[in-house]
Amino acid sequence: MGSVKTLNPNADVMGRHAATFMCVNAAKGLHEVMKTNFGPKGTIKMLVGGAGDIKLTKDGNVLLREMQIQNPTAVMIARTAVAQDDVTGDGTTSIVLLIGEMMKQAERYLQEGSHPRVIVEGFDIAKKALLEFLDDFKTPVDASDREMLRCVSRTSLSTKLAPHLVEQLTDIVTDAVLTIKQPEQPLDLYMVEIMHMRHKLDQDTRLVKGLVLDHGSRHPDMPKRVEDAFILTANISLEYEKAEVNAGFFYSSAEQREALVAAERAYTDERCRRVIELKKQVCGDSGRGFVLINQKGIDPLCLDMLAKEGILALRRAKKRNMERLTLACGGFAINSVEELSPDCLGHAGAVYEHVLGEEKYTFVEDVKHPHSCTILIKGPNDHTIAQIKDAVRDGLRAVKNVIDDKAVVLGAGAFEIAAAAHLRSTVKKQAQGRAKLGVEAFAEALLGFVKVLAENSGYDAQDVLIKLQEEQERGSNVGLDIATGEALDPQVAGIYDNLIVKRQIILSAPVIASQLLLVDEVMRAGINMRGK
Amino acid sequence: MAMGMPYGLQAMLKEGHKHFSGVEEAVMKNIEACKALAQMTKTSLGPNGMNKMVINHLEKLFVTSDASTIVTEMDVYHPAAKLLVMAAKAQAGEVGDATNLVLTLAGELLGNAEVLLRDGLHTSEIAEGYQRASDKALSVLESLVLPGTDTLDVKDKAAVALRLRGAISSKQLGYEDLLAPLIAEACIDVVPSNPHNFNVDNVRIVKIMGGALPDSQVVKGMVLKRDAEGSVKCVENAKVVVYAQGVDTSGPETKGTVLIKSAEELEGYSRSEEEKLEQYVKAIADSGAKVIVSGGAIGEMAMHFIEKYGLLALRIPSKFDMRRFCRATGAVAIVKLQAPQPDELGFAKQIEVREVGGANCVVLQQDASLGSVATLVLRGSTEGFLDDVERAVDDGINAYKALCRDARCVPAGGASEIEMARQVADFGKKQTGLDQYAIARFAEALEVVPRTIAENSGLQASEVLARLYAAHAQGQVNAGVCIESGAPKDLAAEGIMDVYAAKWWAVRLATDAVVTVLKVDQIIMAKQAGGPKPRAGDGDDD
Repeated sequence: MGSVKTLNPNADVMGRHAATFMCVNAAKGLHEVMKTNFGPKGTIKMLVGGAGDIKLTKDGNVLLREMQIQNPTAVMIARTAVAQDDVTGDGTTSIVLLIGEMMKQAERYLQEGSHPRVIVEGFDIAKKALLEFLDDFKTPVDASDREMLRCVSRTSLSTKLAPHLVEQLTDIVTDAVLTIKQPEQPLDLYMVEIMHMRHKLDQDTRLVKGLVLDHGSRHPDMPKRVEDAFILTANISLEYEKAEVNAGFFYSSAEQREALVAAERAYTDERCRRVIELKKQVCGDSGRGFVLINQKGIDPLCLDMLAKEGILALRRAKKRNMERLTLACGGFAINSVEELSPDCLGHAGAVYEHVLGEEKYTFVEDVKHPHSCTILIKGPNDHTIAQIKDAVRDGLRAVKNVIDDKAVVLGAGAFEIAAAAHLRSTVKKQAQGRAKLGVEAFAEALLGFVKVLAENSGYDAQDVLIKLQEEQERGSNVGLDIATGEALDPQVAGIYDNLIVKRQIILSAPVIASQLLLVDEVMRAGINMRGK
Repeated sequence: MAMGMPYGLQAMLKEGHKHFSGVEEAVMKNIEACKALAQMTKTSLGPNGMNKMVINHLEKLFVTSDASTIVTEMDVYHPAAKLLVMAAKAQAGEVGDATNLVLTLAGELLGNAEVLLRDGLHTSEIAEGYQRASDKALSVLESLVLPGTDTLDVKDKAAVALRLRGAISSKQLGYEDLLAPLIAEACIDVVPSNPHNFNVDNVRIVKIMGGALPDSQVVKGMVLKRDAEGSVKCVENAKVVVYAQGVDTSGPETKGTVLIKSAEELEGYSRSEEEKLEQYVKAIADSGAKVIVSGGAIGEMAMHFIEKYGLLALRIPSKFDMRRFCRATGAVAIVKLQAPQPDELGFAKQIEVREVGGANCVVLQQDASLGSVATLVLRGSTEGFLDDVERAVDDGINAYKALCRDARCVPAGGASEIEMARQVADFGKKQTGLDQYAIARFAEALEVVPRTIAENSGLQASEVLARLYAAHAQGQVNAGVCIESGAPKDLAAEGIMDVYAAKWWAVRLATDAVVTVLKVDQIIMAKQAGGPKPRAGDGDDD
């Protein structure tokens, strides 16, 4: 270690023991923070931002993102967790817990003098064996089974929200995914718009089969509600646009100037008139509504023209909403007035505006074949909304995962207990020599989940673990009933986890744990530009 | 520094982070902060509540007993206390009244939670107990709804004024007989045929210093605190044309240059310009309009012609005022300077410039059948007083809106709270689990309302409470605190009632906020963001 000092006298160096100690401690520290989050009975954390903004969360991913961690080891673990979220959308807390547990178990052997390499070998064997075991253990499901999808989303949501919301959101999330699901096509969760309105209570959150746009018409005389409406999705500019070249007018009388003003408008007005013509053509005197949703701007003069015709026009719609609109209402988006034809129109049963204080929302509802929908989150304050939003996102991912995997894994700790037993009974025997230690450490680490789950629900971790293990030895799949502290059959209780979540955890946790264990020196060189 | 031996979370976070966890460090501290906040607002509760003098970060002075103003202007920083403030704001958004009840009740609930925590209960048990107790309390509240109040003729001035008195008297005691009828009159003027669609924006408040509150009046129409532009100051039964943009010569979007080659051309240009404008103004005058309203500036030359044709010119720079004006007159705002179509014209019964309290105001008067905007002109001696009255009137208008949606009323003066407390306590005694303690404490917390009303009125709170309980036990469920004598009295008989919806939301939001505060067991605070300090210590920013 002296060598680095010779090369760069300003470098910080940590020797072998200090490095291991730091890695293990950082993992344990993170484990300590995250473990109270875990499971349906986990507690809430309050995060206060630099500007005094409040965020409440139970979600490991949100917590890791918002906490500004500086310790290098902790950062590595946090990154793994973020990767976990990217891939699966769930299991962030689990992965941090598993890494923490693995490091804790490894530390025991390290202190007894084992070489980290030995343990790492064991981890590797255990990992391979577990992946095979997981394939046997999983329960294949039919992806169109609504009840099964509900079970999985409920399991995911209940770790993130208060119980009274879970049931309601379970239905919302499941139905949202089923709405946008189209046979033979990969699911695109972006087709579920998540919108929030700050009023009423969190229980008023609902699923809108259609779209909610967060802006309204910009003209006071436009209809506030139209029914049985044609929807024109357009990306045409209805405002005067300056020429790219530096143009100017010369005039010498007021008449000339008036003419110029009129000529300037003519082009824009003409386009607006084309839209109005189409409206007249399709609506006639039938009293049906006509809604123009434009991605580009509409200037006040055009708005006025449209308002006079009773057209509800929205300007500057978001691009992603344009895609969703055509999916929800039918028709297709047009880019120029030449394309205008009755074919490009979509349809919605009701389009109406909802004003909330200063903000306007436009609901496009009762659409015929919704392939896009909106989850409308309500809540009395921002932090409630944020909390629900994060949970909904994870819930959607959970449902999608089931559809993609076509399989689920028993939850409530059942997999972990079975896997630990498998490692001990079969894999450990097959492993040669000292690698057995690593396998044993992995098995013990897996049981950590059950312990934390029991602890958070207010039961004695050891008691519960022994009870469950005994039950498992009798050959059944057991999970923990957090309401009673007794064993339960997750299949009966409908507690299922995503296959991909478990798979990803088993894949990445040992890798990162191994890397951290194999660190034998930490150096910090270079100059901190910001100074001390 | 980060390379040191990290232990625990603190060492892993960026510098400047604060981290609290566990019951002692996080929950208790949170409770303390919330209690402090509630302590402050508590003294402002009820008709005899005290005023607070709040100076906000802009050095603006507020003298008020309105809790939502106090907490908004106070800039609460503590995260847990902020949760309560947000609950209060949500209440203000939903019903616009009873914000103090949210804060006071939440503070009391948390204070009681502290006692329970010290007794060894777990936060989740308390939270659960509170939740159940609040469900029970709300069902009790529903049973307390005064018979006959569920239907209300929202057009009946006397009946409405009676219902509004409760909301006003808690803010401006002594003026409720004056303000309630005024508010009722203004609201009834603008309420649409379907009362559900009542829009608070249609009742305007204009504050004009001078005179005294009894000089306040309702104008059917609008009052704008500005003078008319020209010399025509009064018209009657006039058609109105409204331009969204300014009234002046129009220019092209592209840069224009006047090309003049000789002096004649210059003269000719000016003349053509004038002629053009005159043509427009003449067209307007020909259409029958006597009033021109402009959203932007009125050009000097345009003004000249407007004078020439004897039109009244008015400038309304605020877009929102403009929309209201359009609503009040039924005019359509025209975006281009052109002669109006007949259907674009509005109608005003009378527009005149009046001098009120030394300032010229444009008063638009409409018949009750026309238009949909009413204005309350408030008079008073000081700005602070007027602001305070305005807040009371705002509350009153919001209460009217709430009445339009849900007319049900409950007994006031702490009567509903005592009855809720009594029944929740009974409910708690029947429970077997640990949450019975929390339920009992919830009941106790509800007592805070009559207790505070009594305390703020200088009465012996314990004695008043005992008498109230006695009265309620005998079945007088409507008995509330009489702030004069302290004796239990059926205030509903005197016409003092509270709006059911306001109470419902208050209990609901307070419980939600409290449960959230209790469930938080860890706080991680980032370093406070930089930026200019609110005020460089002149000693009084604590």
